[in-house]
Amino acid sequence: MLRITGGKVYDPANGVNGVIRDVCIQDGRIVADVEAGRTINATGMVVFPGGVDVHTHVAGAALNFARAMIPEDHLHSEPFVRTAIRRGGISGATPTTYVTGYLYGGLGYTTVNEAAVPILSARHTHEELRDTPIVDKSTCVLMANNEILLDQLEAGETERARHFLAWCVGAAKAYGVKAVNPGGVTAWKWGKDANTLYELVPGYNKITPAGIIQSLARIVDDLGLPHPLHLHCNNLGVPGNYATTLETLKLVESNRAHIAHIQYHAYGGNDWTTMRSESTRIADYFNAHPNLTADAGAVLFGNTVTITADGPWQHLLYKLTGRKWGNIDVENETGCGVVPYVYKEKNLVNAIQWAVGLEMLLLISDPWRMSLTTDHPNGAAFWRYPEIIELLMNADFRREQIKKLPPKVLERIILPELTREYTLYEIAIITSAGPARSLGLRQKGHLGIGADADVAVFNDIKEARKMFAYPRYVIKGGEVVIEEGEVRKTVEGHSLLTQPFHDPKIADFIRPLFQQYYTMSFDNYPVEMERLEHPDVQPCTQANS
Amino acid sequence: MELTVTKDATCTFCGCVCDDIELHSDGTKITNTKAACVLGKSWFLNHTAERLYPDALIDGKEATVDEAVEAAAEYLYLAHLPLVYGLSNITCEAQRESVALAELIGGVVDSHTSL
Amino acid sequence: MGGKVSCTLGEVKNRADLIVYWGGNPAECHPRHFTKYSLMPKGRFVPNGRKDRTMILVDIRETASAKAADIFLQVRPAKDFEMITVLRALIKEQPVDTKLVAETGLTLEELTDFAQRLKKAKFGVFFFGMGLSMTRGKHMNSAALLTLAAELNAFTKFVAMPMRGHGNVTGGDVIMRWTTGYPFGVNLARGYPRFNPGEYSTIDLLIRGDTDAVLVLGADPGATMPQPAIDHMVRVPTIVLDPKVTHTSKIARVHITTAVTGISAPGTAYRMDEIPLPLKPPLKSPYPTDEEVIRRIYQAVAKKPPLMPPVRPKVPRV
Repeated sequence: MLRITGGKVYDPANGVNGVIRDVCIQDGRIVADVEAGRTINATGMVVFPGGVDVHTHVAGAALNFARAMIPEDHLHSEPFVRTAIRRGGISGATPTTYVTGYLYGGLGYTTVNEAAVPILSARHTHEELRDTPIVDKSTCVLMANNEILLDQLEAGETERARHFLAWCVGAAKAYGVKAVNPGGVTAWKWGKDANTLYELVPGYNKITPAGIIQSLARIVDDLGLPHPLHLHCNNLGVPGNYATTLETLKLVESNRAHIAHIQYHAYGGNDWTTMRSESTRIADYFNAHPNLTADAGAVLFGNTVTITADGPWQHLLYKLTGRKWGNIDVENETGCGVVPYVYKEKNLVNAIQWAVGLEMLLLISDPWRMSLTTDHPNGAAFWRYPEIIELLMNADFRREQIKKLPPKVLERIILPELTREYTLYEIAIITSAGPARSLGLRQKGHLGIGADADVAVFNDIKEARKMFAYPRYVIKGGEVVIEEGEVRKTVEGHSLLTQPFHDPKIADFIRPLFQQYYTMSFDNYPVEMERLEHPDVQPCTQANS
Repeated sequence: MELTVTKDATCTFCGCVCDDIELHSDGTKITNTKAACVLGKSWFLNHTAERLYPDALIDGKEATVDEAVEAAAEYLYLAHLPLVYGLSNITCEAQRESVALAELIGGVVDSHTSL
Repeated sequence: MGGKVSCTLGEVKNRADLIVYWGGNPAECHPRHFTKYSLMPKGRFVPNGRKDRTMILVDIRETASAKAADIFLQVRPAKDFEMITVLRALIKEQPVDTKLVAETGLTLEELTDFAQRLKKAKFGVFFFGMGLSMTRGKHMNSAALLTLAAELNAFTKFVAMPMRGHGNVTGGDVIMRWTTGYPFGVNLARGYPRFNPGEYSTIDLLIRGDTDAVLVLGADPGATMPQPAIDHMVRVPTIVLDPKVTHTSKIARVHITTAVTGISAPGTAYRMDEIPLPLKPPLKSPYPTDEEVIRRIYQAVAKKPPLMPPVRPKVPRV
């Protein structure tokens, strides 16, 4: 039993805006009152629901490939020395699994969504997540370039496609569905890309990226998955891509969709020299369409490594940087590219990217539909979130930073005109309540009775960067894991997953195709439930259909 | 002993790690393999569940596992820079434990990859 | 230069129309590689299997694998790096030094034809073995070939993959990466991972005598390592976990017999393309598994007074 008393509570999901009240915890849940147990005096502090990261890359084949590619980065990373309580490891752009848990916990985050998992290597992802302490974990399985699925769409077998997709979510022990560069990664398998939404996907006679996007969004809604289609639009990172993004948003008008790292999809211009921000156009459309949620994918200057299932983009980035390039195409399912990258303040393109991330966060008016992310580690490592919070809450600080950019960038961005400053209430929304709602996790992101007892307590100080980098207390599932800036306890997290309904006969349909196209045995393909750390199946709204 | 059939078993002899092997076993020995190559077949047929070796040896003399575990722990504990080496023909689960042990004893962990 | 452009084996099965084995002998070392993954299977986009594919073998001698090859290119020993460098120039239509070409043991015609085939492939793959990565030049040879594969993507689709050898060596790399950030040779003496191949790699530690106890798991270095390394293992306490009493067990102070991976020990193993596969042991061993024994050693060490003072952990400043 635990009582947090005297703190100013920000619980947006329950409309609580900076009210001094007690938060009581028993058996890992928020309760109305407790009679005994420890009391934390949070006078002069603020109390938030534990942070929720809707889009991050913290585990699995791609990230682990990146770890191997940047030993020179590890050398300059913060070392974590082993103690009796915690494991050793390193931080940096691709922290080791244990350190990932300590760092997220150390920011007051208690739930993360690993946004890109191929079914074929889902077993690997879950093994890494089991070694990631403190946080609860959900995953999104990559489906938009799955060739068996595309074959069904090509043949007009939409119902079978739905059953197949539901089976795949179950096999991967995933929570949601991710679409990355629909059709484009399939094209990449032949060294090509999908540049427009209406060209045929190579190897197919009927389906286009547009068709894949619409079908997937519909299937995800039909299955009643708690999280909408998690969509990485086509033409990521390319000047002029805002047009593709707007077209994509129109395609999903009658469905729900979560637009991942929207910053990377809001550029104008024709090439790298004429690139400019088109955040206003994207934000205007987005604001008028409540079916959409998004996360920022904000960029911070510095050293990082980019990792995405978007293979063709990574080849382009390799050609641009001339640095290392890693690529793993995953049979029949997806691709993956890894390119180390430095965002430079004095680089025009990077400066625009930095500005667009903040613009999107400031222009999207409803914080409930916009989550704070950096698409870790693509825009910056997640442990730099407090820097972004400072930029959002403090317009003066923002102006100081803008002054450091190359002057000619000013005509390409609108950030200097934006005066909005986020309130603490809004920060609680974009870091916790909003992403929890977008993920459809009803027990997360709030402090109402019955919610998971995931709580972050911060000093109430003016400098947001310091305030959010060093929580005073972090409580996960009712246990105090961080206290006075130190890891005190390393609890295990839960694996959040869904098991959408599918016709059990679909396995008989998949088996022969699988034997034909894959190189592993069909019965070894699904991840065994026993491998998951504390599996926690979340309900779908459609029990069956 | 009754004959059991294991389908889609995985062979760890070489890096192909084929997972479509059928194994027939009588409880102590694998009596037959299907789909395995010549190397895989001999790998499976040459390892049995018989007690062919002592549980443990300390300085060449038979010992119990408990005694050997204690002796190993003492050597590793006393060493300034112990080395944990190999990791090729063991499971991922054992490899994971090996890294944890190397960290505890403050040693180096290394595999065949460094050769 | 740097990185790796690769894929899972099913991509090769479904797409590859040009397969190059370099410095490896799959026919004898990875017998089902041809039939299950690369050369023979009928794939989605290579419906006629072997007929739709061309296989080129590059090696210093005509091994058993040469019989399966359409073209065998015999490179002069220790000239792989030179040959790859010439190919990197030829694909970009750069002039090449004829003296350098002659050194490779191949003619300019042969190499030009090879370069053309690489560029014309719809989906090409290099599988490289220890003949490339463990001979003169070592990792520089691998890096050169990986770079050639990356550069070929300016013309077509090309990937490269090492032919990883024994058992679950790939799993070791994968797990060390997620727990320590580095794939092998990780020094944890300071309580956090440090990496410096040549300094913290096994052979170097043993030959220099830097290590004062050795725990050997799933390997038999007593049979394969250079004599000075073995001599050092004799000098210091060596502990072996193995299903058999091995050469190394005989020079060890402690040997513990364990269950056999995948035969009587359950768990997971990684394939050479880093795909994890579940193990399905048909037998029940009278011996404990490696996993269990290592955990017990861990617990026995953990009971002793801590090696480092119990400092209170800090979340580092960001």
